[in-house]
Amino acid sequence: MSGGVSPGMPVPAARAILDSLHVIERDEAAEQSALERLAACCYRYSSQVCIPGDRAGLLLEAGASRRLFGPPKNLAKRLQGELGQLGYHALPGSAPTPEAAWLAADENGHIDSQAQIRRELGALPLGRLHLDAARIQAMQRMGFRQLQDLLRLPRKALTRRFGPDLPNYLDRLLGILPDPRKLYRPPESFSSCLELAAEIHACQALLFPLKRLLGELCSVLRGGDNMVQSVQVTLEHEDHADSLLELGLQSPTQDPERLLSVLRERLERLKLPQAVREIRVEAPKLLKFSAGQGALFHDTPAEQKQDIEQLAERLQARLGRQAVCGVTGVEDHRPEYSWRRRALNEAAECATLAHRPAWLLPKPSRCVIENYQILAGPERIESGWWDGRDCRRDYFVVRDSHGSLLWAFHEYKPKRGWYLHGIFA
Amino acid sequence: MQENALDKLLDTTPELWKGRRTNHRQQTLPTTYARLDKRLPGKGWPLGAVTELITPQPGLGELSLLLPVLAAISEQGQWVVLVDPPWIPYPAALQARGLSLERLLLVRTRNEKESLWACEQALRNGRGGAVLAWPARIGFARLRRLQLAAQESAKLAFLYRPASARQESSPAALRLHLQDGGHKGTRVSIIKCRGSHPPPPVWIPFSTYANTCHQTADHEPAVTHTSRTLLAGDPPAAPRAGSAYPRAERTGNSDSHQRNGGTPRTDH
Repeated sequence: MSGGVSPGMPVPAARAILDSLHVIERDEAAEQSALERLAACCYRYSSQVCIPGDRAGLLLEAGASRRLFGPPKNLAKRLQGELGQLGYHALPGSAPTPEAAWLAADENGHIDSQAQIRRELGALPLGRLHLDAARIQAMQRMGFRQLQDLLRLPRKALTRRFGPDLPNYLDRLLGILPDPRKLYRPPESFSSCLELAAEIHACQALLFPLKRLLGELCSVLRGGDNMVQSVQVTLEHEDHADSLLELGLQSPTQDPERLLSVLRERLERLKLPQAVREIRVEAPKLLKFSAGQGALFHDTPAEQKQDIEQLAERLQARLGRQAVCGVTGVEDHRPEYSWRRRALNEAAECATLAHRPAWLLPKPSRCVIENYQILAGPERIESGWWDGRDCRRDYFVVRDSHGSLLWAFHEYKPKRGWYLHGIFA
Repeated sequence: MQENALDKLLDTTPELWKGRRTNHRQQTLPTTYARLDKRLPGKGWPLGAVTELITPQPGLGELSLLLPVLAAISEQGQWVVLVDPPWIPYPAALQARGLSLERLLLVRTRNEKESLWACEQALRNGRGGAVLAWPARIGFARLRRLQLAAQESAKLAFLYRPASARQESSPAALRLHLQDGGHKGTRVSIIKCRGSHPPPPVWIPFSTYANTCHQTADHEPAVTHTSRTLLAGDPPAAPRAGSAYPRAERTGNSDSHQRNGGTPRTDH
């Protein structure tokens, strides 16, 4: 600590020493939920992650993945980088036992073997040990200064003086006793919230904090081998109902860029009723990662499908859901009812009809048949008595005086008359 | 050595060309219309470039011209994106022409600005595939952006333009003008093609009807198959009353600038 302020000092005393002191109240609940999210990110590197409830940090089993990541030092560096991107500063350390690793992290050290624990940590002052403060004070009063002072004493004597907890702790530290821990289980959903230091008025300015939150979401997803298809972004205002943004994707993903591209479109169109105070990102449902993603070559149908889904997402984010669709056939003889819009993941099925025009007019338009030259026909279409849109028509291929090839029909029922209905483009 | 470098430059830069020599580096896909393929500099539709199809009116085979290539790429799993087609694609007919409906994406926007934006997005997305759009008005700079987007993603980009666009200059790699060519079919003139002088026009008979009964020419509206009695219920003939080819409504509220550039003869 700088400026003469030290841990355990009352706030007024610290203020008296350091004028420019900025006091932030510790929020243990927020700390815990941050730890949980970080545990989810770390789950990617180790299947055994533990959140020790009594201190701010995470324990990871790194030995099993030694062949994959190299010595723990390398893994630590990687984790430091990844957590750094999320805005956290990690202090890593490694050792053969959890308690020793905890102490090593303070020194940013890496202890390779059990035998080295004594040597490496022996000189640590007692204050560093993970024991309650009263007991440490008692030991200090008895003249113990460093860890090695305790290790030198016979266990029996220690038990007599300080109770069974202390030798138990030392044995776990040295690896003489096993140290089983409750393992972290990855969550079924994701929720993270960010209280903004200053209120944000402009939509585009929201992009930066949201980028961070989405980055966090995606590392959690990668950690648990999960994907999301929909993400909910809630923007909290001072006194106005929250603004909700639903980011829907065509297919599940764990790629932050894809979520961001949808988000960008949404933000561009968003009108903020008030300044934003807090941002929450939630993914109510995490889906299991499915293989078959990320094909090797960009030209495979799977890749093409992925590309087009991304395009559809981007277009829908800006133009609305109904803006993008496919078409498919419907079994109906009346041409205007023989098609419908379809969702992209829906299969298309359709009868094949030759000699029909590629384009249908949105609505048959009345025409004067004398202006056209009839080339082929008639083709009788009579249908629809069951749904009240009964019709009887004769279809003809016609050409107008400018050479356009069109599809016209003569209607007998319900109304007599000539209509244009399609274009043979 | 010097000439070698120049050749290399000519080969690798599609924008550079030398007299009659065609640039073989331009990747193309065959149009499957042999006569047209022969005339086009790369023997087909240029990949990664904008092709403009100038049509004074619809129904001249302007889609039939593209359907073989669209069918071929959709068969390979590539996508065909239609951005704001003025009419409804008829699934049964498209399927009959070999287009895979599973690979057809339809985009409907609310106004021209959105339409161009969607078109550009579609062109930038992924690699391969085709984008068809019907921009009524589009400036040189915007066209250039579409051209660059198509180039990056190696797409086929087809823009349908009204007859008025013929006079405008354009950065498109290929510009075709479609006209009624009488009994010979549709007259396709190549008004610009990158990498060579525009070759002479070709006539393509798109419909089988074209050969048989077009003798009546333009002035005499003929009714060959129907009897007069069928026409009794018609209102008195007012030539070209109403919109001949009403276009598809946009998804949102009505657009302030009517897009009737594609069919100049429609009167709203």
